[in-house]
Amino acid sequence: MISMRGVEKFYGTDKPALADVTVEIEQGEFVFLVGHSGSGKSTFIKLLLREILPSKGQIVVAGQDMLKLKNWKVPYLRRNIGCVFQDFKLLPNKTSYENVAFALEVIGKSKHVIRTQVPEVLRLVGLEDKINSYPDELSGGEQQRVSIARAFVNRPPLLLADEPTGNLDPATSLGIMSLLNRINKTGTTVLVATHDREMVDSMRKRVIALENGLVIRDQNRGVYGYGD
Amino acid sequence: MGINVGYFAKESVINFRRNWVMSLGAVITIYLSLLLVGLSIATGIIIDDVVQSVEDKVTIQIFLKDDAATEDVQALQAQLLADELVDTVDYVSKEEALERFKEDMASSPEIIDTLNDNPLPASLDVSLIDPRTVQEMVDRIKLNELFPKVADRPDNPEDSLKYGQQIVDKLFSFTRMVRYVEIAFVAMLALVSLIFINNTIRLAIYARRKEIGIMRLVGASNGFIRTPFLMEGVLQSMLGAVLAILTVLGVQAALIPRLREALPFLPLGLSTGTLVQISAVLIGASLVIGLAGSGFALRRYLKV
Repeated sequence: MISMRGVEKFYGTDKPALADVTVEIEQGEFVFLVGHSGSGKSTFIKLLLREILPSKGQIVVAGQDMLKLKNWKVPYLRRNIGCVFQDFKLLPNKTSYENVAFALEVIGKSKHVIRTQVPEVLRLVGLEDKINSYPDELSGGEQQRVSIARAFVNRPPLLLADEPTGNLDPATSLGIMSLLNRINKTGTTVLVATHDREMVDSMRKRVIALENGLVIRDQNRGVYGYGD
Repeated sequence: MGINVGYFAKESVINFRRNWVMSLGAVITIYLSLLLVGLSIATGIIIDDVVQSVEDKVTIQIFLKDDAATEDVQALQAQLLADELVDTVDYVSKEEALERFKEDMASSPEIIDTLNDNPLPASLDVSLIDPRTVQEMVDRIKLNELFPKVADRPDNPEDSLKYGQQIVDKLFSFTRMVRYVEIAFVAMLALVSLIFINNTIRLAIYARRKEIGIMRLVGASNGFIRTPFLMEGVLQSMLGAVLAILTVLGVQAALIPRLREALPFLPLGLSTGTLVQISAVLIGASLVIGLAGSGFALRRYLKV
């Protein structure tokens, strides 16, 4: 699903944001990407979304070579990647239903598809009774569920989550993580960038640890594993 | 794509309403610049028609004395016809001259009644291929040796020639100057409209940056993201164009009849075909301004 070989990314000239990263992630895996702020997690995610291009190395996502992918084809790559962020990125003037429907609308799905899929995915994330609520009427956890519903409504083979629990309390975070786990069980590859130690330790999934742009550890059934 | 057209139209109208002050500014500047373009084309066409009709009337009349020898007159006519500047040479007899005078003065019959004799001389009417060569041709006629022999006033042959050099010169320099001023104004206003559209689209992009971010994230195509903004720019400039066309039509409907009344001897007026052409030019120009203005803003402020 994701293949990175010898990937380097320089923003300036001196210090690389990522240095010689080689990672293989298979279809259906659940992977945590851990590291301090500035360790290169965000760069990692941006490279997968092709918001930026690597300075060196090869990246293949969902069968697409990022370096060979034409600019106008990038939107079609992104339809295969669901995205969840720390700040939810919901539109405040749209209800839960409309927020999820918007994602389908703008990629040209028919009204029929929207009407059947949106309620279904909202039921999947447990928000069937908040369909017509606006984001400011929802708790943080509920808002993140809407955002996960939006990322997953198109059934992408890959789901990226950048600090999905960064703004949530531990109990709510647990709910979000089990939801991501459930999505993973449907066969979707899930990559979660986080520095939520307890979460990583309790889930016992594959952990890729970054420090100063280098992969310092990649272990199955791993733990957060920083001494601080 | 049936849904999309509705979506794009809805989005551009929503944007227009959200930023209506800026949008109104854009519409007004486009309206003014296109109005100026439209009016200058219209006046240009009318002035061209007038100049044309004056030019057609720029003939050199050589007045002949009553007792000029017929063979001299015919020889002069033949020589003039052979000149490369000359289009036609018509002989107008005393009787014909009187007829024409009566036609011209039909509105004041009392003048005709005072004429008991025919005081008008016969003439040779020389029309030129290019009216601007009138002075040159006049000089050639003066040098012609037959001219003093047949001229109405042999003592001062100059008086036997009548031509409209000054009128033509003045018309040409006037229309040229008007055109330069108009071009300068139109260019400035077009620039201002481009800047206005650029600004409204930038505000629209800014107001919707969150939505645009999400659209990019979920894989909306670049065309899908850009189209509402392009349509907004086109909507603004088209509105300006329609207002400008309506104003041009209104101005010509109000002014032309009055001008005709005041200047009955000039061919003032615009045909329906000309008005349709002017409208087409304005719509086309508005499309270009709208697409260029919003396209420029998209390139600068919307990285997709």
